[in-house]
Amino acid sequence: MSRSDRRPFNKKMQEKLVVLFLIVLLAFVGLSIKLVTITRDNGESYKKQVLSQQQYESTVIPFRRGDILDSKGNKLATSEKVYNLIIDSKQMLRKEESLDATMSALSTCFPGFPESEVRSYVSQNPASQYYVTLKSLSYDDISGFVEMQNDKTNYPDIAGVWFEEEYRRVYPNNTLACDVIGFTGKDNVGSYGLEQYYNDTLNGTNGREYGYLSEGEMLERTVVSAVDGYNIVTTIDGNIQQIVEKYLYQFNEEHKNGARPGGNGANNVGCIIMDVNTGDILAMASYPNYDLNNPRDKSALLGSRFVNDKGLIEYEANIVTEENIDELLIDDATTYQQLNYLWKNYCISNTFEPGSVAKPLTVAAGLESGKMTGNEYYTCNGQLHVGDHDIKCHNYKTGGDGTLSVQEAVEKSCNVALMLMGRQIGKTTFLEYQEKFNFGLKTNIDLYGESRTNTLVFNQKNMGETELATSTFGQGYNVTMIQMIAAYASLVNGGYYYEPHVVKRITAQDGSTVQNISPRVLKQTVSAATSAKIVQYCNGVVTNGTGKTARPAGYAIGGKTGTAETIPRDKKNYVVSFMGYAPADNPQIAIYVVVDRPNVIFQDDAKYATKIVRNILTEVLPYMNIYMTEELSDKEREELENLDIAIKSTEEEVEGEEGAEGEGEVEGDGEEVIDAHGGDITSSTTPTAEEMESDDVLTAPLTGSVLNTETGAPIIEENDDGPN
Amino acid sequence: MARIKLPKAKGYIDYTLIFIVLLLLGFGLIMVYSTSSYTASMTPSTNNNPSYYLNKQAFATVFGLGAMAFVAFLPYHIWERVAGIAYGVSAVLIMLVLTPLGMKINGVRRWLNLGISVQPAEIAKLAMIIFLATLVCRLGGKIRSRNGFLIVLLSPAPICLMVWLITENLSSAIIIFMIGFIMLFVASPEYRRFALITLGIFALGALVVFTISHMPASGLFGFRGQRIRTWLDPEAYASGTGFQTLQALYAIGSGGVFGKGIGQSTQKLGFVPEAQNDMIFSIICEELGLFGGICIIILFLLLLWRLMIIANNAPDEFGGLLVVGVMGHIAIQVILNVAVVTNVIPNTGISLPFISYGGSSVMFLLIEIGLVFSVSRSIEFTED
Repeated sequence: MSRSDRRPFNKKMQEKLVVLFLIVLLAFVGLSIKLVTITRDNGESYKKQVLSQQQYESTVIPFRRGDILDSKGNKLATSEKVYNLIIDSKQMLRKEESLDATMSALSTCFPGFPESEVRSYVSQNPASQYYVTLKSLSYDDISGFVEMQNDKTNYPDIAGVWFEEEYRRVYPNNTLACDVIGFTGKDNVGSYGLEQYYNDTLNGTNGREYGYLSEGEMLERTVVSAVDGYNIVTTIDGNIQQIVEKYLYQFNEEHKNGARPGGNGANNVGCIIMDVNTGDILAMASYPNYDLNNPRDKSALLGSRFVNDKGLIEYEANIVTEENIDELLIDDATTYQQLNYLWKNYCISNTFEPGSVAKPLTVAAGLESGKMTGNEYYTCNGQLHVGDHDIKCHNYKTGGDGTLSVQEAVEKSCNVALMLMGRQIGKTTFLEYQEKFNFGLKTNIDLYGESRTNTLVFNQKNMGETELATSTFGQGYNVTMIQMIAAYASLVNGGYYYEPHVVKRITAQDGSTVQNISPRVLKQTVSAATSAKIVQYCNGVVTNGTGKTARPAGYAIGGKTGTAETIPRDKKNYVVSFMGYAPADNPQIAIYVVVDRPNVIFQDDAKYATKIVRNILTEVLPYMNIYMTEELSDKEREELENLDIAIKSTEEEVEGEEGAEGEGEVEGDGEEVIDAHGGDITSSTTPTAEEMESDDVLTAPLTGSVLNTETGAPIIEENDDGPN
Repeated sequence: MARIKLPKAKGYIDYTLIFIVLLLLGFGLIMVYSTSSYTASMTPSTNNNPSYYLNKQAFATVFGLGAMAFVAFLPYHIWERVAGIAYGVSAVLIMLVLTPLGMKINGVRRWLNLGISVQPAEIAKLAMIIFLATLVCRLGGKIRSRNGFLIVLLSPAPICLMVWLITENLSSAIIIFMIGFIMLFVASPEYRRFALITLGIFALGALVVFTISHMPASGLFGFRGQRIRTWLDPEAYASGTGFQTLQALYAIGSGGVFGKGIGQSTQKLGFVPEAQNDMIFSIICEELGLFGGICIIILFLLLLWRLMIIANNAPDEFGGLLVVGVMGHIAIQVILNVAVVTNVIPNTGISLPFISYGGSSVMFLLIEIGLVFSVSRSIEFTED
């Protein structure tokens, strides 16, 4: 086709094209004017509108709460990263296939995924971008889905799902050391124990991602990262703690459903093990306990006795059982009364009259003040007339203990001898030493919930002759277990009163040490010479006296028993206890076990406490690499073999140390003691409560008022140590 | 009207046009990346790849530039021979959308999967330009008659109806019809008829708008009625149908005179939905301000001016009409796009040529520019 065949783009067309161009030009000018007017008329308001649409609300980046570790570095409490599943409807609906593909993937990956609920939410809220569907998923829970989400070839249509990070408090050992640790809710607020006491140390600072307007009204984003909390390393040894809890549990198993059907082995059993040379708490436990991962689980209350609205257990209190739990726990307030009592650390929160365990303290006060020489002899006729009362000794029926040396008075736990010592010491000196032993004051142990006892002890004004007399054998005033063991540790370690403590180090998340908490000697309570004498007397308690059943196989230990009657006095309810230390010649650890109202018909038997001590020390002392010094009977060997405990001593060592000590106990003896006491001691030698009943002193105004003022403390009245 | 003189050279190449087109393409890629990178990085279906859209657009652009060069070196008269076939092929392709070859994106069936996804409506626009230029040349003087006029006016109608009804794409149908209308306007010496038709359309539009705005907000006229109500008062439907329009207006208004700076838009962070598509002009205004927006309009004006020059110097009527078709196509899309973004007309999906994200659009636009270069190469220079 040649060009001449073609018509040209003629003049008319050219003209109309120019007209077209002008029309287009006009349209462009018109649109430009529209742009100008939008900017001019609405610029400011639209600018504000745009800014107001931006999400300035900063996003919180959660910090990680620090771990609680035992002295060997095992985790007692830790924080785990968990994930919340968030549904973004908008993203999910962007592609038609996404909804079904995502829903089926979610349903296969998460067994509890509420598909129909989420489907209806997505259809009703198509613009929603944040809907929490599943909470606290672990990484393992979500990893399957995350893999599918990232697998674009096989699952191209999954959309609109993301995971929000959070931390969850986890207690790997569930009930272990629950009283010491305490628990933490979702808001990182600790309740009880270390979690509450060290709340601020464990917590860090949340980070933030936030938007702000810079000078040019630009939206800037800044991330301030979270500062994680510090870890705390405790003095608690997880293994010792486990041994302690094992035997507290075993005690419960043996004695539950006893005299009180459906009830625990005792209202409470507490145990503390402390390093006497540092104040380190190696173990601290009580039973009943609770699961730290599920502290509000009501089933932990089964077997406990009902706590009234004053936080006290009345004498006639019901036992919580499966049948009556719904009737008893009528509302939340009542339920929390029970739970709060359970959560409290028995070893530091509950107060009681210490009973005969206080006798070595009275003797120490006498020796240290110079009012006693230690060479005195006292005559016991079974009772002593004090003020208007005859206060009887445990051996009243058999006519008294006769003439006793100081050591014999302690070994036999003679009340009359102690009251006579009290007269020698005098009120002023006695009270001075009460204060030296820190009674009436907090020990300031680093745990939440230590009770104040300042109104529960005597002072110059309210201590009369009778009160002095009963105080010498540990009744009329109240203490906590931790006060008692801290004071007692100072008696056997040469006189140094250490502040008891649970945390020895604070570390950062990277492991570096932030603070070392070293042992603190607060005062010297007695001289080394007095301390040595007390150790001698208390060793005698276990070798010759009331504490024979506490001695573990292969070791010599010392200690003192206690049996105390609770208020009301006529109900034959008792708290039995044993305070011990080991090894006998060079005390390293102190152990204190208190059994609050054992679930048996005849409660006044310190054997319930000494057996626990024996069981615990049998395992703890070999674990601590303390050499055995005593010969083992065949029965003891068998016992140790059954427990899989290596016998940590050589024959030479045993003999050598025995020689040095000069008072090694013969095994056969030990066994006999156990048999004799385990069997019929209660019936045969029980001097019993009756004698005490006449002691109106003991229900004197002071003790009565003590009962009413204190928080939840069972008030225990000393009875005697007869059964031991 | 005097011919504007062009420098005398054999095989004339309009460097200004090349420069403008490359400038628009480059700018378009920058803006596609700016508008899409955030949402792409947040979307798992794009592999969270911030340059997902940029990559696809760059690929289509390079491919389109190759096609443009190829078409530019072909003598444009060969298109005259395939005009009828082109018309038929575009009709067939539209119908293919209904077959399994069709692809659904965002719930609408507009694409064909031919290895790469192609919008048959874009092919139809190019085919219509070629077909109408050929038709007008064949009709010759008959175009002055009423029949000739009607033939040219109505011949795009079947394709338009198919685009509208099959691919549910009214805006493309309107664009195809208007391309024909503009080519007819230039080809026909008439003015009166065009003025009357234009007035008639405006009157009809006004009547529809009046009726809808005075009716209770029922389902009358379906979603298109709703679009008109939204157009009249977008703030009343701020969280629904007016959302996109309002957010686009907020973007324009908040940009001010010189804008927030490139990459600094906040409206693209999910407020203007799919900001890289039809609403890209609002983000340009937000980031580069009134100044940037008007610069883009001026750039398009320069492009259209170059096309007018080339058409007016075209060696023959067919070449001229081809260029007029291309010019009409670009002019309509720019005007309608900016008009939608500024809420001058009701919201309908029209992309901004060379800048909006869309592979088919940019590829066929570049082929059209190739046609223009092919025509400009044949320009003969005559001394006055």
